[in-house]
Formats: sequence, structure tokens, C-alpha cells
Amino acid sequence: MYQNLYRQVIDWIPERARVLDLGTGDGEFLEQLVKTRRVSGEGVELNPELVTRCIDRGLAVHQGDVMDGLDQYGDGAFDYVLLLGTFQELKQSEQLVREALRVGRKLIVSYSNFAHVRVRWQMLLSGRSPMTKALPSPWYRTPNIHFFSILDFQGFCEDMRIKEVASAYFNARGLVRWLPNLRAEVALSLLEGAPNGLG
Amino acid sequence: MSDAHKGMLQGDLQDQKVKDYKSDLGVTHTHTVTLPGIRTQSGYVFDEIELSYQTLGKLSHEKDNAILVCHALSGDAHVGGISPRSGRPGWWDYHVGPGKAIDTDKFFVICSNVLGGCAGSTGPASINPATGRPYATTFPPVTIRDMVAAQARLMDHLGIHKLFATMGGSMGGMQALVWAVDYPNRVHCCVPIATCMAHTAMQIAFNEVGRQAIITDPNWNQGHYTDKHRPEHGLAVARMVGHVTYLSEFSMKAKFGRTLQRETKPEDLFPEFFAVESYLQYQGETFVKRFDPNSYLYITKALDRFDLLDKRAPAEVFKNVKARFFVISFESDWLYPPDQSREMVKALKRSNAVVSYLNLDTPYGHDSFLIQNPEFARALGNFLRSEYRNQRSLLKKATQPILAAKP
Repeated sequence: MYQNLYRQVIDWIPERARVLDLGTGDGEFLEQLVKTRRVSGEGVELNPELVTRCIDRGLAVHQGDVMDGLDQYGDGAFDYVLLLGTFQELKQSEQLVREALRVGRKLIVSYSNFAHVRVRWQMLLSGRSPMTKALPSPWYRTPNIHFFSILDFQGFCEDMRIKEVASAYFNARGLVRWLPNLRAEVALSLLEGAPNGLG
Repeated sequence: MSDAHKGMLQGDLQDQKVKDYKSDLGVTHTHTVTLPGIRTQSGYVFDEIELSYQTLGKLSHEKDNAILVCHALSGDAHVGGISPRSGRPGWWDYHVGPGKAIDTDKFFVICSNVLGGCAGSTGPASINPATGRPYATTFPPVTIRDMVAAQARLMDHLGIHKLFATMGGSMGGMQALVWAVDYPNRVHCCVPIATCMAHTAMQIAFNEVGRQAIITDPNWNQGHYTDKHRPEHGLAVARMVGHVTYLSEFSMKAKFGRTLQRETKPEDLFPEFFAVESYLQYQGETFVKRFDPNSYLYITKALDRFDLLDKRAPAEVFKNVKARFFVISFESDWLYPPDQSREMVKALKRSNAVVSYLNLDTPYGHDSFLIQNPEFARALGNFLRSEYRNQRSLLKKATQPILAAKP
């Protein structure tokens, strides 16, 4: 599922783009982007151990949380800002997206779809918080603080007046083309800010 | 307590009772060289200057592996190995040596005592050739930029046009930064550690307490003291204050707690003699033996006066900077708090410099870069290794002829 997702991100990013990867982890994906797409990339990561591993890969990386990471840069410093895998874990979703689209011309964000059929089914039948492959932790241990669906996300973009330029949906079997809000477990969205600033 | 923490608790290598310390570098030597003079920022012209320096490792054939390590307030040129004179290890021996973070099997490491210092370089205790007497307080004010200008003369002397890296902690970090700004074509990468672009009021305040201790010592005599009557008491107090600011509440608690150094006697006026008091007194006493009080005044003033931006916009100051940066700070460092490093990182990044930033959790205060610190060593070692690869590939690209241009 995530392999497909990462492949899609690589497809969306043109050669030699300037990329900021928020929550870059040990930098494996960013390094792959640098090698395959020859992008100039920088990462933001909170965990010092992972920062050290990014540095070993020769990546420029900033230790800090996502907001602090974005604050380091001037307007339009990047072509693409990546926020892969953690959007539903972060506070201040609106501010974050605004900030990301200040620093980058485009934002690629991934998130878990809370309206997947298995989630709906589990809640309906068991009356408990769902646990699936894409949502593997019990409620008291999950890092997720926002639970939303693909439709919710689209509504969020409309409210924020952000254009969703492209999207892609995935489940364990691969790409999901129809009924994504029911069938997809994770979603990937390519966003573009309004040309004259947001809102 | 983990082994790593036990190692950290041993503290730094300056002014410690270092028993049976073995350095992988063995005995190392410092040299003194007379160099063409400089004009200081204040306008004073030195016809010549002397610098004491040490080199470790070998300069590569391409001369692309030289690292200038800049020392902090109380440091000197003796960065690694055992000094034949004092038998002491260099101040950064934990991190400089074969296979260490700054690997002397790979890199050619240079460290020189700063201009204005008192460990072999021209400073207030040197003889003024015009008068045949020590400069004392007739020595011109020196700045961090002057120190770096003097180091640049040393690089010319050593035949090194471009440094692979400039680095240092605290005042050393300021020098590393100035190198990247004042000599943009002579630095490939820059590692400022636990430092800042300008002192805050708090940092100046602590230095001023130290300076006042020295100049109010009756022996100071407007700076014209003799070997017999040096303001040792004042300097020792200055060092004690300074040393407290280099530690953290955690490190002092872990190291000393409320342990008493000796049993109390009924006839004592202030009977409790805490281990921390004894430690600070020892720090003060050993420091005065090797440090010149006037040098302490000049160098702390240079620190306080330092202002990298100096009311200019960061983009203007860093306009020509080409170096790649690795900024490191420590969460527990309250003398040079991480926020100052973050401010520096932001100023650099918003000026389009390539910067990595790491803030380590090491709980041992400002001294965290001087002590055994595996996390710090690993990060620094990784950066130097990957940047060295990067520099080599850049050089290759630059020297390769373009065989066929793409249509």
C-alpha cells in the first residue's frame, strides 16, 4: 500500500524540484527522491537519532516539529512540501496547511481514510473504536488525533479555498479507482494554494 | 546510571585531575610561528603576530581535508593528544583522534590559540616590540573577526587555501561562523556548536561579573601587574562564575549533590564545606596558573562585542556564504540556549544557505560538547564523513571536462 503511495509521490514530483519533506524519518524516501528525481531536498524530523541518520545520508535536515520546521523558510522556498503519513496526528491542521503552502508552491499530503468500509463495519457491528491494518493501534495508543474521511478532507480543502490538483487512493490491493471514500484506506492529495495567498 | 552518563559525568578535559588518561594520539606538540601582521578592526596595526598552533593527521595531496578547530574562551592550541610539558590531554581529545568524530586518520586538524590569548599567541602578556615591555592594557581591543583574520594568515602559511571545515563550540563556533562569512571561498562546511550570533544581556552579565572580579583585585593595577603580584584571586572568582554557567542543574546535582568534602568541626566558622565548593575552588586555582588575567578581560570583551548581523539583514550578511552548515545545540545549555541556535539556523536558511540543525538532549549544560558524548560524536562524525564525500564529488564534477552536451 505504502510502496504504491511513495511511487505515486515520485511520479508527481518533476526532476530537479526543490522539496521539503516534513517528518522525514531516517531520510530513506528523501534520499530516494534525490537520487531518482535529482531534487534538492531538505527534511524536518523531531527525533535526534533519526536526524543523525539523515545526516549520514548526506541530507540537509532540521531537527524540530513540523511547524518549527516550516518557520525556518521564506515564502516559496520550495516547489513541493511533503507531509506523508502524519497529517491526522498533527494539531492545527489549518495553520499547518497554510504554512506549508506559504513555504511551498505545492503540498503533497497523505492521510488515513476513516470511512473505509471495514472501519464502518466494525463500528456498526461491535460498537467499539475500529482497529484495522491502516489503523492498527487501540484508541488509547493511537497517535491519531483527527479522525476524518476522504470526503471530510475534500470539504476541508474547499473551506480553506485550496485547490486539490490531483489525488490518489490506495488499499492493501493497490490503487483504488472507484468509491474511494468507501474502499480506500489511505489517500494522497496534491494541493495548490491560491496564487495570491490564501483566504 | 548508564555507562554513557558515567562517561559524561567525568566532565571535560580542562583543569581536571586527569589520572591515567590515555590518548590515542600519544604525545603531541604545539608550534609557534611568526606571521605577517594584521590591522585589527579597531585600527591597530600589528607588524607581525605570533600564533601557537597544533596540527594532527596528514594533509591530503589535494589539500582538501583540512579542518580548523576553533577553541572556546579558556581553550588553547593543544586540542588533542598529551602535552609533553604538562602531561595533560588536549581539550577536545574525546572527539579528535584516530577513529573519533574528527578522525585524524582522515582529516588534517589544525587548532591555534586565538589572537589575544595567552598560550603562545600574541596577546596582552606578549612583549610589545616598540617598548620591550608586556603590552598589558596597551594591547589593542581584539574581536572575533581579528582572531579569524590571524587564523587566515596561519592558513596562508600552511599553504591551505580552502578549509574542508571550520568548527568550534561557544566562542569557537563564533569564529567558525565568521570564517564562513568573511572568507566564503575558503570554507566548504561550517559546524557552529552551542553558540550564537550575538551575546544576550545575560551572557554579557556573567562575563561582566568575571571582569569586575579581576579589575577590582588590588593586584590588577590597571593591568600592569607583575608575576609576583598577579590578580589571581579575581581571575579565580571569574573562572568559578564562568564554570557554573557551563554546567547544568542536573550535572551539578549528579556530580556533587550536597556531599560534604570534609567532616565539620565545631570550631569552624562556616563548617559545611560542600563538594561543589571544593570543585569550584579547584577549578579557579588551576585556571590561574595557566591563564593571563588581562587575556580573560580582552577575550570576554571580544565575546560580548561579537555581533554577526550587526543590525544588517541576514540576507545581506550571508549573501556570499557558500558553506554548508551543521548547527548543533544542547537542550540543557542555559548559557547558550537552543533558541539562539534556532535563530541562527533561521537567519541562514532564509538567506538560502544549506543548513542542518540538531538539538541534543544531553543534560550536561554548555559543557556538553566538551565531554564524552556518544550521540554528539556520532552526529558530528556522520556529518564530516558525508560532507567529505560530497566535497569530493563536487570537485570531481568541477574538474571533469564536459564530453558531450545534451541536445
